[in-house]
Amino acid sequence: MEKLSKLSDYKLTLIYALRDLSRNYKKISSIILTLFISLFILSSIFTIEESLNNELNNNSRALLGGDIEIDYNRNIGNLKLINQVKEFATVSQMVEFSTMISTTDKIENKSIFSRIKTVDENYPLFGKVGYEPSGVFEELQTTENTILVNENIFKNLNLKLNDKIKVQDKLFTVIGIVKSVPDIGGAFVFGDFALAGKQTLELLKLNNLGSFLNYEYKVRFNEGDNPKTSSKRIEQLFKDEKKVRLKYHEKSDGPLKRIIDNFSQFLSLVSISAMLIAGIGIANTLLSFINQNNMSIAVKKSLGFYSRDIKTVYYLQLLILLFLISTAAYSFSFFLVPIVDVYLSAGLGLNIEGSFSILNYFKVFSVGLLVLIIFSIPTINAIDQVKASNLFRNVFQNLQFYYSKQSIILSLFLLSILISLFTIGSARPIYSLGYFGAFFICLLVFYLLSNLIIKLFKGLKEHPNISIKVSVKNITQTKSITPITIMSLGLGVTLLLTLAFVGSNFKREIVKSIPKLAPDYFFIGIQSDERQIFEDLIFDMDKEANLEIVPMVSTGIVKINGIDPNTYIDSSNGSSWATRNDRRSSWADKVLKDNPIVEGKWWDLSRPDKLQISLDSKVAKDLNIKIGDIFTLNIYGREIEGEIVNFRLVDYRDFTINFAMLLNPSFAKNIPHEYLATAKFKSLENFNEIALLDKMPSLSIIKITDYLEKVTDLLNKVFIAVTVISAITIVIGLIVISSAIIVQGKIKEFQNLIFKILGFSKSEVVLSSIIEFFIIFTSIILIALFFAVIGSQFIIENIFQITWKFDLVIFLQVTIGIGLATLILIMITNYKYLSPKVYPLIRNQ
Amino acid sequence: MLTRQKATTLIINLLIMNDLLKLKNVNLKYQTGNEIIKVLKNINIETKKNESISIVGESGSGKTSLIMLAGGLEKATSGKIFFEDQEISKMSEDEVSKIRRKNIGIVFQSFYLIPNYTAVENVALTLELNNLKNPYNRAKELLDRFGLKNRFNNLPSQLSGGEQQRVAIARAIALKPKLILADEPTGNLDSENSKMIADILFKYIKEEKSSLIMVTHDPKLANKAKRKIKIKDGKIV
Repeated sequence: MEKLSKLSDYKLTLIYALRDLSRNYKKISSIILTLFISLFILSSIFTIEESLNNELNNNSRALLGGDIEIDYNRNIGNLKLINQVKEFATVSQMVEFSTMISTTDKIENKSIFSRIKTVDENYPLFGKVGYEPSGVFEELQTTENTILVNENIFKNLNLKLNDKIKVQDKLFTVIGIVKSVPDIGGAFVFGDFALAGKQTLELLKLNNLGSFLNYEYKVRFNEGDNPKTSSKRIEQLFKDEKKVRLKYHEKSDGPLKRIIDNFSQFLSLVSISAMLIAGIGIANTLLSFINQNNMSIAVKKSLGFYSRDIKTVYYLQLLILLFLISTAAYSFSFFLVPIVDVYLSAGLGLNIEGSFSILNYFKVFSVGLLVLIIFSIPTINAIDQVKASNLFRNVFQNLQFYYSKQSIILSLFLLSILISLFTIGSARPIYSLGYFGAFFICLLVFYLLSNLIIKLFKGLKEHPNISIKVSVKNITQTKSITPITIMSLGLGVTLLLTLAFVGSNFKREIVKSIPKLAPDYFFIGIQSDERQIFEDLIFDMDKEANLEIVPMVSTGIVKINGIDPNTYIDSSNGSSWATRNDRRSSWADKVLKDNPIVEGKWWDLSRPDKLQISLDSKVAKDLNIKIGDIFTLNIYGREIEGEIVNFRLVDYRDFTINFAMLLNPSFAKNIPHEYLATAKFKSLENFNEIALLDKMPSLSIIKITDYLEKVTDLLNKVFIAVTVISAITIVIGLIVISSAIIVQGKIKEFQNLIFKILGFSKSEVVLSSIIEFFIIFTSIILIALFFAVIGSQFIIENIFQITWKFDLVIFLQVTIGIGLATLILIMITNYKYLSPKVYPLIRNQ
Repeated sequence: MLTRQKATTLIINLLIMNDLLKLKNVNLKYQTGNEIIKVLKNINIETKKNESISIVGESGSGKTSLIMLAGGLEKATSGKIFFEDQEISKMSEDEVSKIRRKNIGIVFQSFYLIPNYTAVENVALTLELNNLKNPYNRAKELLDRFGLKNRFNNLPSQLSGGEQQRVAIARAIALKPKLILADEPTGNLDSENSKMIADILFKYIKEEKSSLIMVTHDPKLANKAKRKIKIKDGKIV
C-alpha cells in the first residue's frame, strides 16, 4: 500500500485533535468556562494597564504642562535665564499656592483650604482646560480679581456665579467653574483647586511657608526644533542654578504610573490565584474526561498507537482550546475599556482607548499555557495507565493522577517560570514572591486538611443516623470531592477574608481611631509675630483647647557628606522626597513623646553654636545615612553644615506634628521662622474659622475630618473594587466544585438509586448533603480564618503600621455569604441526581 | 561452501521464518494481595503462516490471557514470545506497538468501536495511523464489502451488534495483517450474525493467506479452525 510522508503525521495528529475537540467540547465545558473567566480577568488587567500607560505616554506633555518644567519651588527664580529660554521656546509661568477661600456675604460664611494655580495667557501649553460658562477662562487674564473654582468648592461654599469670595484678605469674583486641568498633580487629583490670573500673586501676601508656594515655568519647544537640542540648551543655561529642578515630560506620570503599576500588580496576583484554582478544576475535569475516554484510548493502543501519540493528541486539543479561549478572552477585554474610561475621565480627566499589544496577548496565552500544562501533566500522564488488555476483560479501572519524577521536575520548572512572569518586572517583586509563597503554603495546608478530615472520619465509629452515616461515607469515599472542595474554596475564602479584614481594619482606623487621637485642625502659616495673637484667639474660643505650636523653618539638603544627593539618589528610593526641594524642619528642647530616639544621642549641649540634626530613622535607612554624617543645608540662602546626631522613629500616620529633620534649638532659634499648630477642641462648635481668618488672613486651616472623609471615601471605593475582583476566586472555586459534583454525577445517581430502592427518603439525601457541606465548610473556615488573621495582621501592622483588630461582623458576613452561595450551588447541582429513573439505570443504559 | 553447521542454522532460521508466532515456555502470574495466581503455565505454541487456530476451554482457564500475550498486550512473567523472527517478549511497549500496528489485527467480543467516531472513521483510523493514502476511500471499500454501504457515517450507537462487529473486523483487517487475534468474536451475537462474522473472518484468512487465533466457546466456530488448542487451568491439554 502507498504511504504518506512524515509530515502527514503532524497533520493527522491535528485532525484527530480537532475532531475529538469538536465532538467532546461539552464534556469539558467547565474547563472552557474557568479558563475563559480567569484569562478574561488577566487580559482585562493587561489591556487597561496598556491603555492607561499609552494615554499617559501620549499625554505626558499635557500632564507636565510642557516639554520641560523649570521648577524653582518657593523662589521666583532667575528671570534673566527664563527670558533667555523665551527666545527659543514658549514659556508659561505659573505659581501654585495653598490658602483659604471663604465666603463673605452668606448668612453662615464658610471657608475651605484650597490650592490655587495662577496662570498666564500662554496656559495651557498642551491639552485643554475644562470650564464653564464659555469665555470665563479668557476673562481671568483680562479682569482683575476674578477666579474659577472647582465643582467641590462651588458646591461646599454654596456659591453662585459672580459671588464674592475672600482669598486671604482680598475679594475675588467667582466667574465660573473649572472642571479639569490637563497638568494634574497630586492636589489637583484629590484636593480642591481654583484657577486665577497671573496678576493674583501680586495682590496677595504669599511669602510664608504655609502657603506651599511653588514657581513653575512650563516650556514648549517651537515646532520643527529638535527637542533633544532644546532640552540640552535649557540644561546648559540652568547648569549653575542650585535652586532649580528640571522636570521632563517623559517622567511626568511618575506617581500616577506607580499607582497603576501597584494596582495592576495586585490584580494580576488575584487573577493568577483564580487561574491556579481553576487549574485544580481543570486537572479534575480532564481526568474525568480521560476516564470517559478510557475505552477509546485502550482501542487506539490495541491498534498500535503509541501512548505518547495519544497524549500528544490530548495536549494538542488543550492547545487549540487555549488558543481560542485566550483569543476570545483578550478580545472581550477590549469591551471593558470604554466602561473604565467613563470612570477615569470623570475622576482624572484621562481618556483611554483600547490598544492591541501582541506582547500582552502572548503573555495571556503563555500564562494560560503554563497553567494548563502544569495541571494537565499528571492527568494526561494517566493515559500511560490505560492498557489495551483491558478490552479483553471489559473492565476499565478509574485512572488516577500519575506523577513521575520527570513530570514533577517539569511541573516545578514550569511553575517557577509562571511565578517569574508575575514577579520579575513587577512593581514590588518581593511582595509578589511573598504572595506566591503564602498561596502555596495555603494550598498545601488545605490539601493536608482534606486528608486529615478523610482520615478522621474514616476512623469514626458508625453513627446510627442514616443521613450522618451517608454524609461521612461521601466525605471519605475514594472518589470524594472533599479535597477539591477544600482546596478550591479554601483558597478563595482565605483571600477574601484577608482582604475583608485589611479593609475593615483600615476603615476602623480612619473612621474611628484617627479622629479620636488626631487633632481637629492644622494651622499653617502663623508668622512669628502672630503666635501670641493666634494663641489668644484660640483660647478665647475654647479655654480647654489642646493646642500644640511648633516652630517651622524651610531647609533644603544641598549635600550629604559633600556630595549632591540628587546625583546618586534615585527617584525610586522611598525617601528621595527628603532630598528634593525645600522641606519644613523644626526644633525641640526635649525628645518628643511620639518620636522616640532609636539610635544616637539627643542634643550635645556643649556645642550650642554647631548645627546638630535629628533625622527620621526610615529616611536615614533609605538614604544610607550614619550617625556623624554631615548634611549641608540651605537655610534662607545660606549653606550651613550640620552633623547627624540621632535617628528618631517618626510615624506620620498619627496626624500630629512630625518632621523628618529636627534641629538643635540652641542653633535654630535665631533663624527666621514661622509656626505650625494643631488644635483639638473640647467642642468643635466653639471654633469659629471665619473669625480667626478675619484676624489672620494669611493663615491656612486644614480640617482633619474633611481629609479623612475624602480618604475614607476613596478607600471604600478601592476596597469595593478590590473585593469584587477578588470574589472572582470564589466564583472560579464554585465552578470547580460544581464541575467536580458533575464529574461524580454517575456515582451519585447510582448511589441515590440504591437509596431509592432501599426506601431512603429524598429529604434524608438532601440532609446528608447539607451535613457533608457543613463538615467541609466549617473546616475550611477555621483554616481560612487562621490564615486570614495572620495575613491581614501582617499587612495591617507591618505595611500600613496601624493597629489590627478582629472584626466579627465582617467575618460573619463573608463566611455566611460564601457559605450560602456554596450550599445553594451544591444543592442545585445535586438536584438532578436526586430523582434517578430506575429503569434505564438498572438496565445499564 | 555450505558447512554442516551453517546448513543447520539456515534450516532452523527457515523454520523460524515459517513460524508466524511462537510461544516458548511461557508463564503468566498475577499477584493479588499476598496471593500469586498462576494464569498460564509453561505454554508452548507455534503458529505457522496461513494457519487458523481455535482456543477453547472453560471460563477462567487462561484463554484470553493467552491471546493478550500473543498480541503483545501483556508481558509474560517468563518464557519467550516470537513474532516472525523477532522476540517481542523482550521489546518495549512502543516496539511491540509498532509490530502490532502493521501485522496484527484484533477483534473483541464487545466490538470496542470508538463511540464518537463514525463507522468509516473507526476503520480509517488504522489506515491513517500507518500513513496510508486515501484512508477514507479504502475504509469505505471495506465497509461496502461487508454490506455496510449505508452505514458509513453512523456512530457505533446507531449500529446493531452484528453491524458493529463487522465494522470492528473491517478495522482489524484494513491493513491486511498477517495475524488476526479474535476474542469470542461472536460471543455477543445471535446465530445469524455469528455465522456472517465467522464467514467474513475465514474468507479473509483464506484470501489473504493470513493466520487466525481465535478464542471461542462456540464448538461450531472452533471446529472451523485447522487446529484446536484446549486450555485447562492455564495449561494446554
